[in-house]
Amino acid sequence: MSDANHPVSGGRWLDGELPANVSVGDGSILTADYAFKRFRSRAGRALVIGGHCTMDGVHFALGEKGTVRIGDHCYFTNAVLLCERELVIGDYVVIGWNTTIADTDFHPLAPAERIADAVACSPLGKGRPRPGIECRPVVIEDDVWIGPNATILKGVRIGTGAFIEAGALVTRDVPARARVLGNPAVVVGEMP
Amino acid sequence: MSGGRTLSWDWYPGEIPENVIVDETAYVETTFSFHLYRSRAPQGIVMGRGASAYLGTMFDVGPNGRVSLGAYALVHGARIICDREIVIGDFALISWNVVLMDSHRLSFDRERRREELRRVARTDGRRLEGGGECRPVRIGRNVWIGFDVCVLPGVTIGEGAVVGARSVVTEDVRPFTVVAGNPAHFVRELDSTTSHE
Repeated sequence: MSDANHPVSGGRWLDGELPANVSVGDGSILTADYAFKRFRSRAGRALVIGGHCTMDGVHFALGEKGTVRIGDHCYFTNAVLLCERELVIGDYVVIGWNTTIADTDFHPLAPAERIADAVACSPLGKGRPRPGIECRPVVIEDDVWIGPNATILKGVRIGTGAFIEAGALVTRDVPARARVLGNPAVVVGEMP
Repeated sequence: MSGGRTLSWDWYPGEIPENVIVDETAYVETTFSFHLYRSRAPQGIVMGRGASAYLGTMFDVGPNGRVSLGAYALVHGARIICDREIVIGDFALISWNVVLMDSHRLSFDRERRREELRRVARTDGRRLEGGGECRPVRIGRNVWIGFDVCVLPGVTIGEGAVVGARSVVTEDVRPFTVVAGNPAHFVRELDSTTSHE
């Protein structure tokens, strides 16, 4: 690795062969041998990444029906993308180290259903259907900037140009160009 | 120091960079901690007497960054994002998954951010190079930082203070106090007697 100004062409994963239902645009690179360890999506175009992106150490943890769209010129460092249904990310989006984005809670809320889910997920639950689990798409619009150690939960839409401070836990929509901070995240200012 | 310094116990085939000063009594668990290190400062990192940096510690130090760990400072897996200066005092205890950052590494201006993202995509190394304002971070002597804490640019944590797990520290912390929360708030005072003899 050097900082030499060598143009990179053709999207690629530096640590393996991309799954067939993944497409990566020109000038984009993915790193980390674990990038697709939790990739189970059978959707036709499960993961589409635009051009000129850097996906450094990103976990693409997609469930069977998960689809993820990522625009151009994005820069993610060690983000964890947990997607059972849909995650849409725009252009020029930056995601800092160790940030988690999830479009589902993974388990049902009601205690009785959670017992059924625990059994279905156990080694004894082979083939047993899991109860319905709530998923709501996450949308991250253009020019959003998310700091390290942040968490974005299901159903959230982050408006264009918003800034999510390090460590924030985002449970609700964020207006365009807002700066948010805290757990739960609240608006503390505006971007210039 | 030339010819490359390796660690006999290391699992990673790396070296300690030349401008990293490690006291002979200090301990580095693995040179993987320098995987993102690219400081060109005369002394990019200084590790004092009895200081230690364990597995998971990442010195993500930019070309002009300088980091110092005081005597007996113990860093157990922090991400140190430094483009100018991060000072960790003597006897400081820093837990896992902690982020110490003196810069957000990008401009808050949208057009300048876009420019940097276009530039970085044309490089092999893909390392962001500033555009962000740098404000030094100072972790005082005898400070204890719990796991998953973020310390934001410009923050000074006073001597003897304790930062609770998962806190996000957005402003200075007074000496000998406990803070916690996201954002972190004052919880209580601590005894400021530091002599244990």
